[in-house]
Amino acid sequence: MVECRVVVVNRLGLHARAASQVVRLANQFQSTIRLERADGSAVADAKSILSVLMLAAARGTELRAVAEGVDEREALDRLCELFAKGFGEEAEK
Amino acid sequence: MRESVRRTVREERWQGLGVCDGIVLGRVLRIHNGARHIYRATLEEADVVREVRRWRAAVRLARRQLLKIKARAERVLGSEHAYIFDSHLLMLEDQKLLDDVESFIRLERANAEWAVKVVGDRILAVYAEIKDDYLRERGSDIEDVMQRILVALSGEGPRYRRLTEDAVIVSEDLLPSAVAELDFKYARAIATDAGGWTSHTAIIARGLGIPAVVGLRDLYRRARTGDPVIVDAISGEVILHPSKETIEHYDSLSADNRRAGLAVADNAPGPLRTEDGVDVVLRANLELPAEFEGVKRFGARGVGLYRSEFLMSQRGRMPSEEEQCQAYEEIARLAGEDGATIRLFDLGGDKAVGTFSDGERNPALGLRAIRFSLRHKDELRKQARAVLRAAAHGRLSIVLPMISDLTDVRQARRIINEERESLTRRGIPTGQVRMGAMIEVPAAVLIADKIAREVDFFSLGTNDLVQYLLAVDRGNDAVADWFRSLHPSVLASIKQTIEAARAASIPAVVCGEMASTPAYAAILVGLGATELSMTINAIPRVRRTVAGINAGEARKIAEECLECETADDVEELVRVRLGSRWPHLFPPKSLPAPKSQE
Repeated sequence: MVECRVVVVNRLGLHARAASQVVRLANQFQSTIRLERADGSAVADAKSILSVLMLAAARGTELRAVAEGVDEREALDRLCELFAKGFGEEAEK
Repeated sequence: MRESVRRTVREERWQGLGVCDGIVLGRVLRIHNGARHIYRATLEEADVVREVRRWRAAVRLARRQLLKIKARAERVLGSEHAYIFDSHLLMLEDQKLLDDVESFIRLERANAEWAVKVVGDRILAVYAEIKDDYLRERGSDIEDVMQRILVALSGEGPRYRRLTEDAVIVSEDLLPSAVAELDFKYARAIATDAGGWTSHTAIIARGLGIPAVVGLRDLYRRARTGDPVIVDAISGEVILHPSKETIEHYDSLSADNRRAGLAVADNAPGPLRTEDGVDVVLRANLELPAEFEGVKRFGARGVGLYRSEFLMSQRGRMPSEEEQCQAYEEIARLAGEDGATIRLFDLGGDKAVGTFSDGERNPALGLRAIRFSLRHKDELRKQARAVLRAAAHGRLSIVLPMISDLTDVRQARRIINEERESLTRRGIPTGQVRMGAMIEVPAAVLIADKIAREVDFFSLGTNDLVQYLLAVDRGNDAVADWFRSLHPSVLASIKQTIEAARAASIPAVVCGEMASTPAYAAILVGLGATELSMTINAIPRVRRTVAGINAGEARKIAEECLECETADDVEELVRVRLGSRWPHLFPPKSLPAPKSQE
């Protein structure tokens, strides 16, 4: 099991477009992938869009990403990268 | 509702208001526009497996539909907006959702519709608790997906494919935002319960050039997806389960009608003149991106009216300055040398304004259009900057909607000028922008001469002018009989406005729906109008009309109309005079049917 901490940096938070990207990515891996609010108040299955959306992670939310399985390392790296990039959203003035 | 239980049913007829001509024989496709009534059924143990299969098939069907919609949205709205369907697709693939519904069907022996509703409501309840506004609103995506599955469940069956190809859209009412989702390639006609001549449904239908009948009261409730139906927008009749004789009768009519409809767009539209040499300019009214390509195809001279609030209804939120600027540049490019007129947001009133809505008691007379913009100055400034910046790349004008007092004009002008100065100070290029006033409130007609001195042009919005002048809600089919575009007071107001513009040497563009009906267009020319802006698909037929009439004679007919006492008299006079003077241009069926029948 591996885990890392990520912060939602994009303006609109983990909304439909960003969540879609997370789910698409997660589904490429065999490992189970969880996203948890850092305060432990909510847990989501990263392969389910409804679950990820229900995290209601607005901008600035801290999350813990946890992957477990044969490809856990790569899955986690790619996921953290996606968060760090802010889902490729252009910054709005 | 399964095909196997279909029984023979008797023909039923509805009388409504035809708002875009044509006759179509097709099959009902019910489009829902709000809450569905879902009932619970308890299944026999043996039927549960079949119900699960039905549910899975519906999900597959919904998924195929979504893929198509997404491809279409990419074409029509651009990829930046199509992403929303990505998340809808993922929801349909969401294992948790699929498992929850399936186990509900099994454990509760419930019908699939009920299971979808229960599971969907559960998820929505969680969403309703979310504190973040933006994320909470994503609940509407879930609702949308649930609706789609429910629709798939109701329309499921081997005939579905054939059914979509001759679909007659039957709905309570169609909102502009619903349009992006519909595949109008297959839509043959529209029939709605609500609405009048200038309702959104009517405007959309005319934009797409498909027959439509509105004001049908309870058709939606009575029709089922897949039912055979005839939409006769010429007589305003809708016939559900038509008999064999009726179908045969309409088959012959329909063939004639198709031939007439094909005579569109002459390809080299030079300057347009009446028989006696009066120049008349026809421009395009635009709202949906789907209409853009038609501007050139139908030979419009630029864009006479761009309804900018579509940018909002399309997104479900106020568009940013960048988004607006891009849209306006695109429209300026389309319009070319002839230029485009951007109408400032006509928000409030009957147009959903999302976060700004305060539930006014009388929205048509409330905080809408220019009043809304002056009360939300940040939005006005943002829109002004977007137009000014886009004008650096093309010819653009601004028109202020719902002007009732010169103060509105002066305040708007001051704000626009301030924004121009501030852009210039920051070194951002802007272009020349002419500023006009919409004349659509009776008060503005009465002081048209004074307004004319302070604006660069007039746009006559006849839809609202008729509504306000006659105090008739244009979306209320109960008073559709009182909505009379040819009321003598309407004609007198148009004349007064055009004369005020002429005296001040500014152009006046008539840009309401009136201009798109040939007979009305002839009267408008008779009243002195030389610029008409209309829904694009009306341009070829209005062009034919204008080229074939004599402006001098049209003026005499218009003057006679002004002397009439009632709207009935005007309509009768128009029918008789136009029909006898230019019978080839105004065959009996082309003239609006008399409204009052006594």
